[in-house]
Amino acid sequence: MSEQGGAAIRPQDTPERFLRNAAPSPKAEAAAAKITMETLNFYYGTNRALKDVSLSLPERQVTGMIGPSGCGKSTLLRVLNRMYDLYPGQRATGEVLMDGENIIAPDIDVNRLRSKIGMVFQKPTPFPMSIYDNISFGVKLHERLAKSAMDERVEWSLTRAALWSEVKDRLRTNALGLSGGQQQRLCIARSIAVRPEVILLDEPTSALDPISTLKVEELIDELKQDFTLAIVTHNMQQAARVADQVAFFYLGEMVEVGPAAQIFTAPRQRRTQEYITGRFG
Amino acid sequence: MRARRRRITNIAALSLGTAATAVGLLFLVWILLTTLINGFAALSPRLLTEMTPPPGSEGGLLNAIFGSTLLIVIAVAMGAPIGILAGTHLAEYGGKSAVAETIRFVNDILLSAPSIVMGLFVYEIVVRPAGHFSGWAGAIALAFILLPVVVRTTDETIRLVPITLREAALALGAPQWRVIVQILYPAARTGMITGLLLGVARISGETAPLLFTALNNQYWTANPAQPMANIPVVIFQFALSPYDAWHHLAWAGALLLTVFVLVVSVGARFLLRARID
Repeated sequence: MSEQGGAAIRPQDTPERFLRNAAPSPKAEAAAAKITMETLNFYYGTNRALKDVSLSLPERQVTGMIGPSGCGKSTLLRVLNRMYDLYPGQRATGEVLMDGENIIAPDIDVNRLRSKIGMVFQKPTPFPMSIYDNISFGVKLHERLAKSAMDERVEWSLTRAALWSEVKDRLRTNALGLSGGQQQRLCIARSIAVRPEVILLDEPTSALDPISTLKVEELIDELKQDFTLAIVTHNMQQAARVADQVAFFYLGEMVEVGPAAQIFTAPRQRRTQEYITGRFG
Repeated sequence: MRARRRRITNIAALSLGTAATAVGLLFLVWILLTTLINGFAALSPRLLTEMTPPPGSEGGLLNAIFGSTLLIVIAVAMGAPIGILAGTHLAEYGGKSAVAETIRFVNDILLSAPSIVMGLFVYEIVVRPAGHFSGWAGAIALAFILLPVVVRTTDETIRLVPITLREAALALGAPQWRVIVQILYPAARTGMITGLLLGVARISGETAPLLFTALNNQYWTANPAQPMANIPVVIFQFALSPYDAWHHLAWAGALLLTVFVLVVSVGARFLLRARID
């Protein structure tokens, strides 16, 4: 999965970048960064929503993004899977490297990128089709599987998303009939089924009840064995529970990043401290 | 003082509104009742087994019923695909751009264009060059009337699909066309079918455009290259005639048409309601 140290030549590589891939910097090696953002800026028209953000997502860890509404954390996720491409007037500058490739470069195959970086949204978004088809839809985009292999993949992803036992007898029924929590786990299963390397979660539990939230959080803990995760959340307890690394955003700037324990117990920046203690935001 | 004036204004406005509704409904019920009473009196099995008769004799409406059905089927086959594609393009690729907004505006003009103008237009581009009236010309005229209805409803129902569903599909790496065909169409299906049914209801009663195009045919024909019998023009012609037998057939035709349009419209409503639940 990680080709960080590999010396494979990619067509997008410049000589510098190739060298950097072949011999990762000491910093990258220590953190084993899956994705590295360098002076990332993002614009909605003329409005600058991200300001010189430099941040790494360590491989197979959970990075929590916290901060008040409108601080740019969701925007950051939408940069990583190029969701902003849909909207004219939105653009990103800087560099976002995944396995040495700048994924915000214009010549990137966006569909292939999105197969490697899955996303789960705030509100559950089941497609108007059966549970089975919800899962197989994404898989069919990128792979040709025989019926039996597809059955296995569906079972595997639903099992990983802790949903299999609840739906195994009604795979052919409409996914819209599931409860909100089940729908959200179906969306997670749908993302996993494509076998991405990174999963982005944009406030995945904000529309769920506490029990479903707990299930999704347990799931996130499970998933980091195989995937690199980034989660945007408004719930500080949630960030403390699920994240290994936490980044605090304020007005488009990344104020501080560090291990979750450090951010929540000994933040270095005053603004971070004020936010986590509830003095603003 | 003020409260009293308010109450009086309220009562006055309410009474006027109720009266207006009553007047409107009265005429609707009157029209329906007249059609039902005269139509039922004229119903007979011969309607479905015999052709439209020559003046003064008895007959049925078989050729006209078949003709109308065929014209509508051809019109839908021509108008619906073009309309769905155009509506999809407006919703998914046009968005709110100036070009798309202009097309929507022009489409709305087409939507409210008098149907006789459509008839004259098709007469000019199809009937005159061919030298004779034909079922094809009639179907084309009906397709022109159907087209803007389908464009509009497709455009609107696709744009009603939540943006989150679109993004969720794209986030899996789906190309745009797959999102449209596999996600948006199923999500917008009931709305699109409803629009199509309303369009069918609209064209099935159109008379003016058919007078200039399909005209009429006293005999049986399944060949759209010939003039074709159809219910609306038969009603028009028979109702204006001095023969009692023709009058009866006209009433029967009017009843059939009304019931058909009613069933299609109610069906469309039913579908729409099912979607909201």
